[in-house]
Amino acid sequence: MSLLLPKLASKKGQAIKSTAEKVLVLRFGRDEDPVQLQIDDILSKTYHDLSKIAMIYLVDMDQTPIYAQYFDVSYIPSTVFFFNGQHMKVDYGSPDHTKFVGSFKTKQDFINLVEVIYRGAIQGKLIIQSPTDPKNIPKYDLLYQGI
Amino acid sequence: MAPALRCPLCRQSFFSGRGHVYSRKHQRQLRAALERLLPQVEAARKAIRTAHVERYSPEHDQCCWCLCCGCEVQKHLSHGNMTVLHGGLLEHLACPDHRKATNRFWWENKADVLLKERFLVSQQDYARFKKSMIKALDSYEEEEDEMIKKMAAEIREVERSRQEVVQSVLEPQAVPDPEEGCSAPCIWKGTNRIAFSSQQLSLDPSPAPELNWMEATQSLTFIGHQDTPGVGNVHSGATPPWLLQDDEDRNSSAHQIGPSYEEFLKESESVTGVGLIFLTTLNAPTFPIPLAEEKQKLRKLPPDRVGANFDHCSSTGAGWLPSFGRVWNNGRRWQSRHQFKAETKQ
Repeated sequence: MSLLLPKLASKKGQAIKSTAEKVLVLRFGRDEDPVQLQIDDILSKTYHDLSKIAMIYLVDMDQTPIYAQYFDVSYIPSTVFFFNGQHMKVDYGSPDHTKFVGSFKTKQDFINLVEVIYRGAIQGKLIIQSPTDPKNIPKYDLLYQGI
Repeated sequence: MAPALRCPLCRQSFFSGRGHVYSRKHQRQLRAALERLLPQVEAARKAIRTAHVERYSPEHDQCCWCLCCGCEVQKHLSHGNMTVLHGGLLEHLACPDHRKATNRFWWENKADVLLKERFLVSQQDYARFKKSMIKALDSYEEEEDEMIKKMAAEIREVERSRQEVVQSVLEPQAVPDPEEGCSAPCIWKGTNRIAFSSQQLSLDPSPAPELNWMEATQSLTFIGHQDTPGVGNVHSGATPPWLLQDDEDRNSSAHQIGPSYEEFLKESESVTGVGLIFLTTLNAPTFPIPLAEEKQKLRKLPPDRVGANFDHCSSTGAGWLPSFGRVWNNGRRWQSRHQFKAETKQ
């Protein structure tokens, strides 16, 4: 896991509630995963640039089974976005709008996404269109309980 | 019905076959197009008798659209750093291809026959133009040569006069200085510095000749020689005064530039909310958060943003979950939390 990003082991509720007027980015995953490392790299590099509009936290899946279940995280890494304690949905063109699955292709993709989420949240929207090119979004199948 | 044909002049399709060219609209378009082309051709025709050669500049790369041939033609003829005005256009107008195209254009569009000759340049005219062009080129070259020679002469003159002044000043030291100043006023401006420096060499030790300098130029206020014995100056390599701080600053309290730690934390708290929660909980002293600043910032944000009414400071239990519309449920978002709790209890 990136040493530069703050980790959330406990008190996740506290962190979600206390981040005010900023996009809260929660990355769910496991340290060893290679795609995980990719997204962690992007997150750590953009952490400072986005510090005025976003707070980024890393959450280890194994330590938080309840949140993993609640957010229905079946693929890692998954990134969930909140604003003022409210979950922000984004239409990436993928099956699941509630989270971003996989890694971002470039830093700019991530920055664009956070900015669009922030703008949408300020305007009062709970679901937003992703600005990323659909071909840069990782593809996956979402099956209900493996069916 | 006649097949659809396109008239490039009117930029339209028409179905009346050959009848279109006799229509008023077409004739009007034709006249307008020829009127647009005519001035350029006339200007070129004037250049036949007296060709002009100029120094090359990018605006000489202009092109002209020849209506009859349907192609772009370079207006002026450029070679190296010289341009013959209207050369390109004349060359094109004189060529046989253009003649053929013009005849065809006149026949197809049924233009006025009397105007045709004005858009053509005969071979004799072109030969005349070539002769005048050669003459113009020669005269242009001569002019350029003359200009270069003149510039060289000017530079030589300036150099010579400079040398003269230097000589005249260095040789006779007995000659009083103001005379030097009055003798050659026009070259004085250019050679001012050389004169001053050479005077300075001869006048350094005594303070009296400084008055002569004042007479020659505007009156400068003299404040005395700045040589305190014992203390060095910039020429002797002494320490600059701004680095001699040790005596004064040791007495006063330690000057720290920038805010103190508490002030820094106060500022960052108010700006980033609880972003620094990790740092502050470690070992910093506790202090009241300036609420007024925060409240003002919140007021500036749009009131209908997401979670505007969300109370960040309310205390909730450990099992609090955020509002998350789950993936595989149906119903409203707020119901998803209840559903999840129900499922987990099971």
